[in-house]
Amino acid sequence: MIRALIVDDEVHARDELEALLADTGAIEIVGKCPDGLAALRAIKSERPDVIFLDIQMPVISGFEVLSMIDEELMPAVVFVTAYDEYALKAFEENALDYLLKPVESERLARTVQKLKKILTRPPQTAYPLADITRIPCIATNRIKLVAVSQVEFVRSDVAGVYVVSADGEFFTELTLKVLESRTPLVRCHRQFLINIDRVDSIVLHENQAGHIQMKSGKTVPVSRRYLKKMKEDLGF
Amino acid sequence: MPLLLDLIKTMAVFVVVAYLYSKSPWFKPLTTDRLRPQDKIYLYLFFSAISIMGTYLGLPVQDALANTRAIGPVLAGIMGGPLLGTAVGFTGGLHRYSFGGFTAFSCGLSTMTEGFIGGLVHLYLVRKHHEDQVFRPVITLVTTMVAEMVQMLIILATERPFTDAVALVQVIAFPMIATSACGAALFMSIIRDQRNMYDRAAAAFSTRAFTIAERTLGLLAKGLDSETTPELARIIQEDTGVAAVAITDREKVLAFVGEGSDHHQIGHPISSQLTWTAIEENRVVFADGVNRIYTCSLDRACPLNSVLVVPLTVDNDVIGTIKLYESRNKRFLNMNRSLGKGIAGLLSSQLMLSRYEKQKNLLVMAELKLVQAQVNPHFLFNALNTIISILRTDPERARDLLIHVSNFFRMNLKRTNGIATLREELAQVESYVTIEKARFEDRLTVNMDFDEDLMDLRIPTFTLQPIVENAIKHGISNMLEPGVVNIHVYRADDTACIAIEDNAGKLCEKPDGDGLGMQIVDKRIKYLMGSSFGTSVECVPDVMTRVTIRLPLNGFVNDSSTHS
Repeated sequence: MIRALIVDDEVHARDELEALLADTGAIEIVGKCPDGLAALRAIKSERPDVIFLDIQMPVISGFEVLSMIDEELMPAVVFVTAYDEYALKAFEENALDYLLKPVESERLARTVQKLKKILTRPPQTAYPLADITRIPCIATNRIKLVAVSQVEFVRSDVAGVYVVSADGEFFTELTLKVLESRTPLVRCHRQFLINIDRVDSIVLHENQAGHIQMKSGKTVPVSRRYLKKMKEDLGF
Repeated sequence: MPLLLDLIKTMAVFVVVAYLYSKSPWFKPLTTDRLRPQDKIYLYLFFSAISIMGTYLGLPVQDALANTRAIGPVLAGIMGGPLLGTAVGFTGGLHRYSFGGFTAFSCGLSTMTEGFIGGLVHLYLVRKHHEDQVFRPVITLVTTMVAEMVQMLIILATERPFTDAVALVQVIAFPMIATSACGAALFMSIIRDQRNMYDRAAAAFSTRAFTIAERTLGLLAKGLDSETTPELARIIQEDTGVAAVAITDREKVLAFVGEGSDHHQIGHPISSQLTWTAIEENRVVFADGVNRIYTCSLDRACPLNSVLVVPLTVDNDVIGTIKLYESRNKRFLNMNRSLGKGIAGLLSSQLMLSRYEKQKNLLVMAELKLVQAQVNPHFLFNALNTIISILRTDPERARDLLIHVSNFFRMNLKRTNGIATLREELAQVESYVTIEKARFEDRLTVNMDFDEDLMDLRIPTFTLQPIVENAIKHGISNMLEPGVVNIHVYRADDTACIAIEDNAGKLCEKPDGDGLGMQIVDKRIKYLMGSSFGTSVECVPDVMTRVTIRLPLNGFVNDSSTHS
């Protein structure tokens, strides 16, 4: 059985696709998500083989969701949308398939055939993924999108990953690894990414480590391992 | 004494000349306020002639001439300035000098001086902004007296032997000063009267033209049709006082008012050859009733015998004619001839304007259709997808939704008709909202609150729906939290207001791009109902967007133009 995740902000659209996929007999629905953040969470926990992804969704669009998925967890992607103005962009994003709502069961059967073929093969080459420009964060009871340029640094601890900007600290579902690979943020420590543009100075300690003085006055540790690379990046 | 009498006789000659001059075409320049260079040349030639005539009419006294030569230069100076005055004086003086004799030199010199003095008066009056006083005979009288006195002084100063000069001046001084001054003043008074007559005629003409312009303004806003043209013809006939007025398009008579209306019937094809000529050659055709006689092609007993046919044009295309008739017993006035042409010009620009307005409206309609075409596919496919899903679990509801979809599209097709009641518009919004509520389920709540008195308000179609659609499409559908749309119809003073408020607050940054539908709604309301109405937006980011549509309380009144 192919393990599938459905992501669509409209409940009836999710239900309909679930019913159609169930009818094919080849698909197991591992989850249905009403928005992008729930989808990122479900991808982490359920590790689906394929996601059926709506494009027009509130706050984080389907394309944005795709750019935020951890590469190791990247499932096959099938876009589902009501109108075909995004078809070209969808294929640029290396989607496996592109379905139009209302979805015809015959058309869906072809998609499932494609899926079967691909998923029996050894893991395919990775998608070249788009950069993340806004980081979705959870602020009390709403989703806040923090522009990468506004980020000072990102830190992670046992509680999770936090984006630090002038507005405060915000929890995010994205991992440091995803953020490091798809944003211009630079790794300076196992638990820290920094925005080079916000750095004021680097203070070197005797043990070859050091700390970074941010323009805002905050400090961020630099480990020995990353200091050398950072110096290179900064042109020392 | 006999000298004075003779000088008065010559003065009489000047008065006659002045009278004839004021009736001649060369007088034209003096009726305007500014003299062009060629006008000054005319004046120079004319007044030089007057000056020379003054010399010829002079009477020999002691080897000199008692004369009225000064009139020409002084008048020329007062009316045309120092240069013109001096030039005329120089010419007159040179002519006198060529005669020779006692005082030949002093007379030549003084004539020039006199013209210059007239010019100084002119300069003084213009500098003091008393241009209107230039033509006052009293000023001419005094100026000429002074100028002649100066001439006497010049004679005394330059002619030798001095005793002869004194003797001469004693004889000629009084008669010359008196007659030249009086002659010049009379001359000026004739010129002034003639000028005033021109002014009065011009004033009467413009008053009439303005009355017609004012009364006909807007009558042709809807183009040339048989509905408004009779009124137009009536106004023109009343204000010009001609015997009859007709208006035609390119084929038939649209209106006929006045004498002969018993047989010149509305709706008849054009029968007059003159009218055909005017239409085909796009030119004014005039039959004055004397050299060229208009003969009615319909009835021999027709009292009309002169006609002016002026084509009405839009973009150089003749779209009709306007005809002014005069009956056999009356002369076709020149004033009416130019009025007729003026009216046709005026009406042509009105027609141009109405065509422009129509095209503007067409443009708005085209934009409207474009937006409709852009909006619908998303809505339609999402709606159908929702209904297909609901069909599995609740066929009854799916059926109900499909009826709403068909209602919505039926109303959409009717939209192009232009005007609907608020009740009809709200019914469409309700269908739209029902479908969207099924799509978003508990993510969308719509509250409606209407003032029942306003439900029959006639409003342009496609006013409400795009705004509600904006609120849902660009507002609620971008929220993770539950969305609320409030539609509130209420009365504020003498305005009917429809407020559409959502709790998304997404329209703050981009009121232009995505607000295309709204812009068109605004443009259309302003176009149909006036610029004090239309839409306005208030927005608090992420909290709320409120679009208020303001409409006149009596709704849309005149709906004929929207069908065009």
